[in-house]
Amino acid sequence: MNLILQVLAGAVRGGTSILYAALGETVSQRAGVINLGTEGCMLVGALAGYAVSANTGNPWAGVVAAATAGGVLALVHGVLVIGRRASQLASGLVVLFLGLGITSLFGGAFVGRTTESFNPVPVPVLSSVPWLGEIFFRHDALTYLSFLAGPAIFYLLFRTRWGLLIRAAGERSEVLSAYGHSPARIQYAAVLAGGMLAGVGGAQLSTAYANAWFENMTQGRGFIAVALVIFAAWHPLKAVGGAYLFGAALALSPALQARGLGLNQFALDAIPYVVTIAVLVVLSRKRLDAAPEGLTRILAMSPWK
Amino acid sequence: MSVAAAPTGGRFGTAARGAGRIAAASAGAVAMFGAFVVAKGANPLVVYADMIRSTFDVASLGEVLIKATPLILAALAVTVPARAGLVNVGGEGQIVVGAVAAGGAALALDEVLPGGVTIMVMMLAGALGGALWAGLAGMLRQKVKVNEAISTLLLNYVAIDLLLFLIYAPWKDPNGSGQPATKPLAVAARLPLFAGSRVHMGILIALVATGAIWFLLTKTSWGFKLRVVGGNSEAARRAGLPVPTLLMSAMLVGGALAGLAGMAHFAGAELKLRPGMTANLGYIAFLASWLARHSPIKVALAASLLAAIAIAGDSLQLDSGLPAASVNVLMGLVLVAVMGFGNFRTTRKAA
Repeated sequence: MNLILQVLAGAVRGGTSILYAALGETVSQRAGVINLGTEGCMLVGALAGYAVSANTGNPWAGVVAAATAGGVLALVHGVLVIGRRASQLASGLVVLFLGLGITSLFGGAFVGRTTESFNPVPVPVLSSVPWLGEIFFRHDALTYLSFLAGPAIFYLLFRTRWGLLIRAAGERSEVLSAYGHSPARIQYAAVLAGGMLAGVGGAQLSTAYANAWFENMTQGRGFIAVALVIFAAWHPLKAVGGAYLFGAALALSPALQARGLGLNQFALDAIPYVVTIAVLVVLSRKRLDAAPEGLTRILAMSPWK
Repeated sequence: MSVAAAPTGGRFGTAARGAGRIAAASAGAVAMFGAFVVAKGANPLVVYADMIRSTFDVASLGEVLIKATPLILAALAVTVPARAGLVNVGGEGQIVVGAVAAGGAALALDEVLPGGVTIMVMMLAGALGGALWAGLAGMLRQKVKVNEAISTLLLNYVAIDLLLFLIYAPWKDPNGSGQPATKPLAVAARLPLFAGSRVHMGILIALVATGAIWFLLTKTSWGFKLRVVGGNSEAARRAGLPVPTLLMSAMLVGGALAGLAGMAHFAGAELKLRPGMTANLGYIAFLASWLARHSPIKVALAASLLAAIAIAGDSLQLDSGLPAASVNVLMGLVLVAVMGFGNFRTTRKAA
């Protein structure tokens, strides 16, 4: 397989877990809550998904468990920042610690264990289309499902009443209160949805992408997802593009190594993070203006000018 | 939030009630961690007894001091930028770069120069390395408005890859076996130990730094200006303060402190660069600073408390056979309890 094709196909495969998490975080941030604990939600999702599919033999049961685990952990963040007005950034890190700790407490038994996982299922006909088939249609079911997730979240946010409420909660929560809605309840729902999607992303990582569980396997993907949302200007479809960009950066390292390129593995491993920072640099100038009102308070506590 | 309307009994009454609430919240956290332990099939009473016994013996107290050294310094690295309203989540990366810079200096010098001189050079290199890494995020914020919380987080991973790159290839000890690492630091260039213990002089560096930062933040015009900027940068600008310079200086000082943490951890405790040497110190330090509301003396105390919990975690592994990282559950629960249910802010009317 040639290098470009391999990287692009890898972008979709490797970007999917981040895609789910970034979409969830888009919903959450649109409602005015930034969750750095997305990383922790992905971790508990990855373990819950892996453990349940190992014990039931049904990877879909694993996905349900992953969404539940991610959602429950995100609710801890919700209680702290919505209910108790704690700092969003600090609370997110606390949630990350909980995720790290819980998964290492319960994950040991699953290291090295095999499980029933999502195998690649080529889509008939489409998978034989040159290029596109290779890139998009020879993946696992969770990846196919993710193709629908971006448009679905877009529809939710911009075409439904729920979406309007979510966006209003992030922009002008006092207006919501004036109309008799509870901004807090809407924010809780958005944070819950964000955690559930991050959990599904974690399940994709453990039961479809890596087919394994190991400690701290998310390796900063949750943080990347949070960054993605910002450089996607809180737009779900752009977040999908960003996730694939990161996936491509992720796929580049093994693809180059397989070709015996004389570069050190760890220099290549840094590429995704450097790419993310570089994209932020290129796109960031105008981004903060697009931020939900409630978030600018958190993101731009002291604007440099 | 029924506490919102609680009548106040003066400053002392408020403080006492706050302390009581923190104690109650922490007790809740301890009970919940017990539930996790039960779920793992261990006896929580035995686990806690082991933890307390092994944390308060003399050797363990030494370990707590060793752990507290980089934690205090790295927590102050969060405190200084936070005073100016900046969020430095990059302690982990700045510690790593500080350790790498100190390690690089050691590789070049520790067999050439006298030990004392090497230590000074390593301290300087570590501080500069950390400042560089934080300054990078500061510059991104200043020039292109990239949020520093995000950029410092991402730079953590770049720093770790830098460390791995160096110890897997150019700096690898050819005589080492097993896990790749640099060659051990020459004995003369190590931070001196307190007699009869493994505790190194780094704890003194940390304590001096705590005093110095307290002085700088509360007694100098620089500290005052930082607080003005952190309170309202627009007003600070109108008042003619050099806001970008102040913010950058806060970021650089913070980075230098974290770099120093990396140097002390390397030259006092680890003695070689190895994968995983920082063990989430930067993130724990971040939480210590937020727990203590960025007040330097309290930050140092909070960092020491978290160091004690982390050391207690080692007993989890040794005595109860639970993975060492599961102490993060306890740490997370304590933080949830204190941040969410033990702080003074919740006594004010929530907006």
